[in-house]
Amino acid sequence: MGEVICLLEMRGIDKRFGAVVALKNASLTVKEGEIAALAGSNGSGKSTMVKVLAGLVAPNGGEIFIDGKKVEIKSGTDSVKEGFATAFQDLSLIPTMSVKDNILLGCELKTKGGFVDEKESRKVVQELLDRFHIDCDPDDYVQTLMPSTQSMLEVAKAVFRKPKFLLLDEVTASLHYDEIETLFGIMRELKAEGVSMVYVTHRMNEIFQICDTITIMRSSETITSGQVSDFTLDDIVYYMTGAKPKHHEGTGEVSAEDYTDRELVVDIQNLSIAPKVKDISMKAYRGEIVGIGGLEGQGQSEVIRAILGAVKKDGGSISYLGKPTKYKAPADGVKAGIGFVSGERNNEAMFPIRTISENIFAGNSAKGKLFKFLTSKEVKKFSQDAVDTYNIKIGKLKDPASSLSGGNQQKLVVARWIAMKPNLLLLDDPTKGVDIHSRQEIHDIIRDCAANGMTVIISASDTEELMDISERIYVFYEGEVAAMLAGENKTPEHLVSAMMGIKSSEKEVE
Amino acid sequence: MAIRESLRRFRRKPAFTGCMLFIIVLILNIVVQGWSTCMSGGVTAENIFAFFKPSALTSIFMSNLPFILITIGQALLLIVGQMDISIGVQIALVNVVCIMVPQTTGCPVWCGWLVGFAAAFAISAVCGFCCSVLRLPALLVGYALTFLIQGINVLIMNVPQGTVPMAYWKPYQSSVYKLFNNPPAFLKFLDYIPVAALVLIVVLLIWHFFSRRPFGKHIYAVGTNPRNAFAVGINPVSTQMKAFLIKGFFVGVAGICLTLMSASGNPLQCEEYGIKSLSAAIIGGMGWGGWGSISCGVFGGGFLVLIQNTVYYFFTLLSKLVAGFTVSSYWHNFVSDLIIFGGLLMTIVTAKEQRKTLQQGLKAQFKRGEKNVR
Repeated sequence: MGEVICLLEMRGIDKRFGAVVALKNASLTVKEGEIAALAGSNGSGKSTMVKVLAGLVAPNGGEIFIDGKKVEIKSGTDSVKEGFATAFQDLSLIPTMSVKDNILLGCELKTKGGFVDEKESRKVVQELLDRFHIDCDPDDYVQTLMPSTQSMLEVAKAVFRKPKFLLLDEVTASLHYDEIETLFGIMRELKAEGVSMVYVTHRMNEIFQICDTITIMRSSETITSGQVSDFTLDDIVYYMTGAKPKHHEGTGEVSAEDYTDRELVVDIQNLSIAPKVKDISMKAYRGEIVGIGGLEGQGQSEVIRAILGAVKKDGGSISYLGKPTKYKAPADGVKAGIGFVSGERNNEAMFPIRTISENIFAGNSAKGKLFKFLTSKEVKKFSQDAVDTYNIKIGKLKDPASSLSGGNQQKLVVARWIAMKPNLLLLDDPTKGVDIHSRQEIHDIIRDCAANGMTVIISASDTEELMDISERIYVFYEGEVAAMLAGENKTPEHLVSAMMGIKSSEKEVE
Repeated sequence: MAIRESLRRFRRKPAFTGCMLFIIVLILNIVVQGWSTCMSGGVTAENIFAFFKPSALTSIFMSNLPFILITIGQALLLIVGQMDISIGVQIALVNVVCIMVPQTTGCPVWCGWLVGFAAAFAISAVCGFCCSVLRLPALLVGYALTFLIQGINVLIMNVPQGTVPMAYWKPYQSSVYKLFNNPPAFLKFLDYIPVAALVLIVVLLIWHFFSRRPFGKHIYAVGTNPRNAFAVGINPVSTQMKAFLIKGFFVGVAGICLTLMSASGNPLQCEEYGIKSLSAAIIGGMGWGGWGSISCGVFGGGFLVLIQNTVYYFFTLLSKLVAGFTVSSYWHNFVSDLIIFGGLLMTIVTAKEQRKTLQQGLKAQFKRGEKNVR
């Protein structure tokens, strides 16, 4: 074979977002004309690696070499200059611009006079669309196209830049089977042309179908890498979770009989919410912590918000304490004794410039009458109690909530709801971006509450967290319940394989 | 078939609603003005089409051109995700500079215009610097600048004063036909083209020049999602700054037109144009950031102008139809503002309609997509 050149090499990459470690001594090597898979469970740092190469995230440490030469990637422009083109998971298309303008954005075709050559542009884009079998007009606005077409366009846009390195970050997540086939065909063509690719995916069968090498990440670190042919499916799951998978036989339902003595709090039957949730049925009993697992965007947050009344359901039924719910707004859900904590604390839970005490009291004030008389003493006592009970580290109660660290902010939000003693607490990824210590404390609070009879439904992107805290786990895959794990079945391997939908795709790999 | 296709395409353009509103109010204006003139002057062909009388056309164009020009400028800023409500007092600034520079230094009039242009560029650069480099909220910057610029205006010119030589304002206030000394009869049609309309066309052509360059695409990317624009190698700050400077050009032209229209200077005029140009642009179909086009500004500005014109003739007509009917001009404003308010509400309805059809389309595509899998 002779000497093999490593075209791209990332060494010892570190990245911290505050107290949260996103990458720790991570590494990746890609050779010319190679398709390198980057695998790992949620939050293991794959997307951050891609963003480092795309110039959107500046690493705190580490080196990047191209052709043996050290390079600095500080911005999108640098990344483009070094020959990278990226198809992002969350798409980089501009919805209000046409397909043609999106694809050519930043590298417009110009006439001699420096004007945009519309005629040539349309021709070139049409050719590209034909190559990708994308059925749309170059002048269509991107926002009117369906998600899978947008994903294909995202890839087409990256390919159009004729990159040396093509970075594909979970582009197949919303693609249909025929589109994936087209994409793989194009990837093989590019490979023959010598383009190197980094392919991030959650779908195991795709790794075996298309990739040459694999690099596996777990909790921000690179665990192992090598030729795909040297790995079995079990190996990959092992490296991703740290445990060998056993057989999947027991992954079925646990009989509901164990719970007949408990009160049924939430009963969801065949819930559907377009477009993500297709058919979800689940139950939660009094004093139970029920986990919802799955890859990002499999309908978890929609289901949780539907219980609260923040999202309208399209079909199926949700019963709360034996009665079907008819909430028009989250306020109705709160009145019925439901609490809700979101991981998106800035968007959905915090009032950053208001004081800590106001933030803690916010949920409670929504419960009483609108013009009920409220003394500042009452507010102060209520919030001081919460601060003491839940060990939130604050300066003064009068300080703005934004003065707290991320972990303490999240504790504050959790405390706000628990102090109201809800019957049912809904948690949507409550420890997202929270350091490990605060996470532990939040878990302790939640366990306490459950022991006192509160029902908790928690969705989490982190598999360890789910394993740690939940009694039973419903695993969502493509808007359906892929598995319900409880008792002996509740193992990290079962969880991860159910999340990846491996059960169904195993046969295709063999 | 080709016509139907281009019509279908036009209906999805942001300027569609603005254009429709403009056409409706244009027809309304022609009818009301014609009717009103017929009531006083008798039914003749000339009176029925009073709107198209050369003098009427010239007058409506020359007195409203400054407003239309700054609405275009405002539309450009909206595309890049910014705005400038001090744009009204900025044309007053250009106005006082154009008057005072020749008056105090004795230099030729065109010299004053050049300084006026420089002032427009400078103040736009300041506004752009605050909004895009310092990233201050555009509304706040515009508000603060309004007071600052008015202060500067009064410093330059304490009371309304000054004149412009007739050789300058006369051509602006006439039609192209009247520019000639002894025009031949076959050029009579030029009487229907006001010089002010010609200015508008030239400005639009200059914009056309910029819009056909990559810059014309980048403004949309920056206005919708600066992060994604940055990711493909576009510099959002420099793109926004360029937009502010081009807006400065529009302000310069608008300020000179204002000077030629009034042939004098007034430091404290046009403040309301800031908010008005914003609402005109929104009625024309602009969104906040990345949605809309310069034609939205033209149609929106035109809509506002014609509404005021129509309401004026409507009340004149009423006073002739109903004996003894007289109202103060405040009522004119009230009614036209009410209609403008209605127009703004309309844009919400149309936006909602667009969203609805979009959602339905998506759902249909989803179902079809699933069928493909099986």
